[in-house]
Amino acid sequence: MAIDKKIAKEFENAVGAEYVSTRPDVLLTYSQTASMAVEPVIPSAVIRPANAKEVSQILKLANKHRIPVTPRSGGSSLQGEAIPKPGGIVVDLLRLGGITLYENLRSVTVGAGVTYGELDKFLAKHGLFLPVYPESSLVCTVAGNVAVNGAGVGSSLYGCTGEMVLGLEVVLPDGTIIQTGSEANPNSPGPFIRYAFGPDLTGLFIGSLGSFGIITKVSVKTFKRMKYFDYNMYGFDTVELAEQFLIEIKQNDINGLFTSIYSGEVLDLFMDMLSEELGFPPFEHAERTVSMTIGRVREDMLESDAKLAREICERLGGRVLNVREMPQQEWEGRFWNFVRASYIHGWHWRTLYHHQTPTNSHKSVDIIMDAMDKYRFLGHTAGFQSGHSSMNLYPHLYFDPQDKDEEEKVVKAHQEIAKALFKSGAVPFKLAEFWKDAIEDMDEYMDFLKHIKNSIDPNNIMNPGVLGGI
Amino acid sequence: MAEIDLDELIENLLQCRRCGICRNAVYEERGFDGVCPVWKNSPGFETSFMRGRIQVALALLEGVLEKTPENSEALFSCTLCGNCTEICAAEFNPADCLEEVRAVLNDIPNDVRDAIAEKIIQFDNPYEKNRSLKREWIKEVGFEIPTSGEVLYFTGCTAGMKLPTVVISAARILKAANIEFAVLEEEPCCGSVMLRTGKTDEARLNAQRVVSAIQKSGAKKVIVTCAGCLKTLREDFPKLGLEIPEVLHITEILQETAACKKLKLKPVTKRLKVTYHDPCHLSRAMGVYDAPREVIMSIPNIEFVEMETSRETAMCCGAGGGLRSYDPELAKKIAADRVMSAHEVGAEIIATACPFCESNLRLGAEQINSSIRVADIVDLIAERLM
Repeated sequence: MAIDKKIAKEFENAVGAEYVSTRPDVLLTYSQTASMAVEPVIPSAVIRPANAKEVSQILKLANKHRIPVTPRSGGSSLQGEAIPKPGGIVVDLLRLGGITLYENLRSVTVGAGVTYGELDKFLAKHGLFLPVYPESSLVCTVAGNVAVNGAGVGSSLYGCTGEMVLGLEVVLPDGTIIQTGSEANPNSPGPFIRYAFGPDLTGLFIGSLGSFGIITKVSVKTFKRMKYFDYNMYGFDTVELAEQFLIEIKQNDINGLFTSIYSGEVLDLFMDMLSEELGFPPFEHAERTVSMTIGRVREDMLESDAKLAREICERLGGRVLNVREMPQQEWEGRFWNFVRASYIHGWHWRTLYHHQTPTNSHKSVDIIMDAMDKYRFLGHTAGFQSGHSSMNLYPHLYFDPQDKDEEEKVVKAHQEIAKALFKSGAVPFKLAEFWKDAIEDMDEYMDFLKHIKNSIDPNNIMNPGVLGGI
Repeated sequence: MAEIDLDELIENLLQCRRCGICRNAVYEERGFDGVCPVWKNSPGFETSFMRGRIQVALALLEGVLEKTPENSEALFSCTLCGNCTEICAAEFNPADCLEEVRAVLNDIPNDVRDAIAEKIIQFDNPYEKNRSLKREWIKEVGFEIPTSGEVLYFTGCTAGMKLPTVVISAARILKAANIEFAVLEEEPCCGSVMLRTGKTDEARLNAQRVVSAIQKSGAKKVIVTCAGCLKTLREDFPKLGLEIPEVLHITEILQETAACKKLKLKPVTKRLKVTYHDPCHLSRAMGVYDAPREVIMSIPNIEFVEMETSRETAMCCGAGGGLRSYDPELAKKIAADRVMSAHEVGAEIIATACPFCESNLRLGAEQINSSIRVADIVDLIAERLM
């Protein structure tokens, strides 16, 4: 049901009438995101502010009227993070643009509406990049990815998006606008360090799913854009050897910019779907195959890394496959190929992003494969290194959107998988809706989160229920 | 056009996983600097780009949303430019599907759509003008043009009635190239806008009349200057089960003459920076990208520059898909945005190859008080004929 007209008018006064909608068709389109097999919820209004000040006014009004608020930017989140609450409003942040480069500080500040694609085009002109590219880089905003604690191509070397963040501008639930990191000092020349003025308040909002406030600006690190790449694949007859290879790559500081690991079955599936389109030649893969792009800013460093990677592979008893097309497509086609791979099969899919240690990553593969066997779903999972010693895994289950029974089954399977993954030692990036029933024996942690939430947002207006059910 | 299978249409629409890549993707490697011109130039709610349009379409088809003019606005506030299709990673064609949705849901009242179709039926053009006006311009070309012959110049309503310089220029160029051609006595409208807005039955009847008139003229080849006519005659008529002779856009003819320097062109007196706006129906729809560019570059002393988006990823001028009638202000705003892109690369002329684009780009230029010259390629060539 649309919001009360008088309240709508107050929002209109805050942002301008043309940026508030209560039309049924508009509300319908904000009832869902890219999250699949999630029940849509029609909001009562959609508001598109232009800046932090307008966001502040919106949150003050929402607090006054006790209206739940769902922040949203690209609308590409996959685990039910931005589904509105009944009677709630959606705050669409895509109008918050602007990019400011601090070349000497090696940082850049972007508005909450700036996508990775937009930023990458800007930074490329300066020979720079933000070296973490989520699969949805053409759609999702940097701020949105910070709010969901995302990762992506480049994370193998640089870690998750959160590791890039130097500071945030956040509108708290009561409308107060705060700045974290070095920019909290109004005299600061810009974003140059995150850990300033005591505890890491920036970290509080990373992966917070908008539960503690709305991120309106993000300051992130920039790096010199790499020019030299080595693309190769490495085959191993056992899971253990492949996982050991991943560890040794890290222990030897080899610059694996994007390092993925594939089981034989998943590689077969990908090859079937994509090899012709992307020009992958047929090749003999192994039980586990690692696909790695090594990146460096200097050629001599690259040669040294590539040589050492081959030596480690061979020392462990693996085979250097000398196949460059797949890793090259993973890196060079990072904006597109992962999206294409997710859609080419024609199914809808649901995912449960999480991290494992390298030596645990096969457990995620086993768990998802078991579930696929049990429920007779198609799907896949693969993983990539996502930081210091973590692997990002992305188990997708496919289903037919016109088959409601199958859709229910996929939700049920996901609940089981989430529990099994948690027990295997996996950690979700975020406490998104899909995970909330899987978390056990973390009562103190969850209580502490609730305490923080209650302190910051006593009326619980900000995305209630999304962060681990809080 | 084959009958629309509703189940198949819904299945296609469900290929959309709501990723949103069709909104404003900036993907430099492939030339995208934004995708949807409507989203960019409107208040920007989800209903203003394809992801939202598809959700609205499904909701209307499945009865979740009431079939009202307001609820169906998202279906019609789209130029069907196809840039979303160009970037879509899923296994369907969003723009074509939306056109089909318009046809399936054409029981939803829409005064603008119905009025255009009625005008075409009554006047043989959407401008309520006397049909004989489509030969009125011949008085100015200085030579006779028969009403039948092996080569037929199908002038189209916009050029024939609103932008006569285009048809005059085209006629002079064809003459200079020694191509004998005819123009129909009373040329019907191709019916493009009927097809785009979902008036399929009316479009089918109209198309039969068009084909009959072309056949009677004895034409073995049809030349058009309008990108909308090109797509309709070349692509849509065969889908309607109608046979039509070969249809060529004049730039495709001129590509050959330019290559062999068949037309002698005077150089422009001072170096002139020209950019080219790809009409969606000529470029993304029919794949004609190089011909217009080669023709422009055949003019001596022209400096050709591309805009930030061009060819497959060019932003639309805002006129297509019935938007110029449905929401003229939005269409103008989109055109103004496109004109700005031409300014950004320092162009003095924005050339195009479609009178519908030309007239909308002119309106856009006026809106931002731009002094840029908007011209059809045929005008540029005709001016340089020796």
